[in-house]
Amino acid sequence: MIKPLPNGYVYAYFQFTTLWKAANNIETLKHTHLFPRGLAEIIGRHHVDELHVTLTEGLWNYAKFGYPFYSAGPGVEISTWFNKRVADVNQEWKGLTNALSGLLCASLNFVDPSNSLSPEFSFRPTGAVTQIPKSSFLRYSSLPRETACTENLTPFIKLLPCDSKKGLATLLNSAYIHNTNYHSIGIHFRSVCGNSKCTKLSLELRQTVSLVYDTVTFDTPDWSTRKLFGIGLRGACPLATLSSIYVDLSGNETTHNFKLSPQPDTTTVSFRGGQENKYAIYNVRSKTAEGALSIATVHRIQKSVASNYPSILYANRYIIGYGQEKGSLVTKIYNNYWKSLDIVLLENVPWYLSLYLHTMKITCNGETIKPLARRYIPGKERKQPYYLELILRLPPHSVTKLFVDVDYMFLKWQEYPPDANHGFYMGPAIITALLPIARNYTALPQDGSTITSIFNGTREGYLVQLRTESILISLPTPDFSMPYNVICLACTAVALAFGPLHNISTKRLVLKRIEKQSFFLSILGKVRRVLGLKEKTS
Amino acid sequence: MKNQIIYFALAGILRIFLMNSDLHNIIRDRIEVSTALNSWKRITEGVYLYNIGVDPYIGDLFHETPLGLIIFDSIQKHFSFYGLWLLFVIIDLITAYLLGITAKYYIKELIAYDEKNTPYVDKVNIHQDFASITATHGASTFYVSAAYLYNPYVIFNCVGLTTTVFTNFLLSLTLLSMVKHSKIICCLCIAFLTLQGFYPICLIIPGAICIIQNVKTNEKPESLLKIFILFSTILISLFFTSYFVMGNWSFLQNTIGFTLLVPDLRPNVGLYWYFFTEMFEHFRSLFIASFQINVSILFVVPLALRLHKNPMLLAFSYLAIDTIFKSYPCIGDVGFYLSLLPLWRHLFRHMQQGFFVGCFILFCTIFAPTVWHQWIYSRSANANFYFGVSLAFAIAQIFLLTDILFANVKREFAVQHGIMNQANGNKAKLLLE
Repeated sequence: MIKPLPNGYVYAYFQFTTLWKAANNIETLKHTHLFPRGLAEIIGRHHVDELHVTLTEGLWNYAKFGYPFYSAGPGVEISTWFNKRVADVNQEWKGLTNALSGLLCASLNFVDPSNSLSPEFSFRPTGAVTQIPKSSFLRYSSLPRETACTENLTPFIKLLPCDSKKGLATLLNSAYIHNTNYHSIGIHFRSVCGNSKCTKLSLELRQTVSLVYDTVTFDTPDWSTRKLFGIGLRGACPLATLSSIYVDLSGNETTHNFKLSPQPDTTTVSFRGGQENKYAIYNVRSKTAEGALSIATVHRIQKSVASNYPSILYANRYIIGYGQEKGSLVTKIYNNYWKSLDIVLLENVPWYLSLYLHTMKITCNGETIKPLARRYIPGKERKQPYYLELILRLPPHSVTKLFVDVDYMFLKWQEYPPDANHGFYMGPAIITALLPIARNYTALPQDGSTITSIFNGTREGYLVQLRTESILISLPTPDFSMPYNVICLACTAVALAFGPLHNISTKRLVLKRIEKQSFFLSILGKVRRVLGLKEKTS
Repeated sequence: MKNQIIYFALAGILRIFLMNSDLHNIIRDRIEVSTALNSWKRITEGVYLYNIGVDPYIGDLFHETPLGLIIFDSIQKHFSFYGLWLLFVIIDLITAYLLGITAKYYIKELIAYDEKNTPYVDKVNIHQDFASITATHGASTFYVSAAYLYNPYVIFNCVGLTTTVFTNFLLSLTLLSMVKHSKIICCLCIAFLTLQGFYPICLIIPGAICIIQNVKTNEKPESLLKIFILFSTILISLFFTSYFVMGNWSFLQNTIGFTLLVPDLRPNVGLYWYFFTEMFEHFRSLFIASFQINVSILFVVPLALRLHKNPMLLAFSYLAIDTIFKSYPCIGDVGFYLSLLPLWRHLFRHMQQGFFVGCFILFCTIFAPTVWHQWIYSRSANANFYFGVSLAFAIAQIFLLTDILFANVKREFAVQHGIMNQANGNKAKLLLE
């Protein structure tokens, strides 16, 4: 799916869906066909019901870009539902993240209880489940410091049935992908209904790549797949049942004005959640029969700066205050809808920021708002993060601000990362809401597996999970070259107390005659003694 | 008497005035004033969590005892903003008053003791010296109150609304009950203090010595045993009360465990923070153990043996050692024992390092906020600067303590033998051997 965004950005989204009509158990997961074996074994061994891993670089701008297919916070984000049979979730979580860190070459092994949460409201299983499990089987963690790089992309592509040999995956060239303003790769595994009555289950694996290009950096506003990905497409993956490219033409003739070449096979008009969208569809198999396919746009007139409809819900987060002692965490949530919206706000504050809940203030247009529900678990140093989840009702057309005071902790010298003065990254807050209309909405409906399911996919609500910015916090640092000196100096102070106190409590006071002897003579005496000469008695 | 009332009122007004000014927030947030153990902001957070049904002991902001939680909960519920300030000021004034009474009784006792042990040496010879030993006694009683009322450390402590105000109140009550030989109040206060801060447990020794002073010699062991049984009973029942308040033992980890294991490395006026920031991980437990032994066990027995005749000085030494070497000291603790200094006015003439110590403490007080600002805000200094200041502050306090104890030894010698600086006609000096 290629979607031109306003202000010259182009959003390219790849989705590779593998559906496997099989139940989720260890035995079936050991004998895979199209499903990647490495991942299947990990999923089977750790009794995973649902898994979402994303590796992201850059920031998705919800106000400008609308909503992506999959929201992902900066760095690595992982959330997992474990099976009810799992006795020790923490143990499996540790095993899973370590295994995935090997599979994806990402530092997922840094996930531990000190940065994992089990949020109660924000996450629900997205797949088919008989009943909603308790949140104790859920683990969520984000490592905002991680960077998504070629070393993650290569193992990611290897999980595809056709690898990078054939099909759409040949377009994923690391040099072009990592030049983008935003790129995110994701692995999403869940169980879905195998038939219409949902008596049988299928396993679904979606591998996604989201890229946002800035065409302003190109010479012309015209873009083509060759320009975006470096090469044209030379045929579909033979194993794929469906291999298509979709171009969103909705904004054409209003915010954009371009013509596609070659002509698409079909165009379709989709009505979804009060929005009318127009899509051009290219069937890769038929289009590449006679040669490489490159979809290009030709802009007819110079693009004017066009306004777009703002997204109805977006958020910012930042820290106020100066110095490295304390600050205030501010989360700003914008509601552009004409009705009030209910949202779930998940604040994930690392343990090294002591959060004072009693200082929390939620204001909207100068009025205090009371949350409808609140869950809070205070953090514990080196053990668990601060977990705060709020359900808020945002008034129509409003900006809601949440303030909470934090103190910066002083860490042990070995706990600082290399380049300690660069600071610490704090993971994003997550805002979950069910939007009433599908404006700027792209994500697939929950029951859909392929991109085609968004056509006329009107549902009751449109689930969005926004991520705010990750914040760079500069904690006060000690002097890293001092350990020996500090140990010596502090022990000296102790010794200074010990010596006199020991003397006072063990010795008696006596009067002693002051020897009147000059410094020179005493030295002379010592030298003589050393030499063995007999000292003259006075 | 009239003068005293004026002094007290003036001190109260000064505190209220500072609380009302903009300085209040600055003082409250100073790391020298508020530590992890006594900060009012943390108490508020703990009480808030308790009221919304979250166990405050699963987090790491709250380190008061469950009993403290209940007390502060009711204080925050029943006192308005200004009521709270008034409560802190009144408690502080009462502390000063109790210290004044303590000083009066103690000096009386000291004079009686000195007279009983009149030196058998030639009275004419030492007359002058002896007078100087006793003459100042009457005046020093009010100085203790005044030193507490106008000690800037104590004032900042009170204005910063730290719980050390209550700790100091209990300490002054302990000292008073010691000189009044009141067994139950003494044990109760020390048990409360132990529950809250652990280190004051050693005060039970001077307490016990004081209480059994008037008991006949053959009944002393029995009486001593009674005191320790009483004390441990109260302490254990306090722990169990805490347990019943919270329903579990998790508070131990966050109160006494927090004090002993030093997980919070926020700078303060003590030595621990930078030492354990810069500690190699595999030596951490060794050094924590040795530091804690140093403060709570090492000096207890030797000093008790040496100073058993002067339990007030013993209590003072314990307080000073605790303050210097405890894990989260604040200037409120320093201010408390400094305001006891007028009690040792008779030792001043034997002290040698008063000027030195005074300068050091003054410089540290000025330098600490300066280098803190440079480190944390303008980032033109680093942690070593602040560590240097806290190190110097600790050393100054050590010098003060050892100087007083040494002066005490010298005075004992002087009372026995007169002030002598000659032996067999030659110039001589006093040495410990």
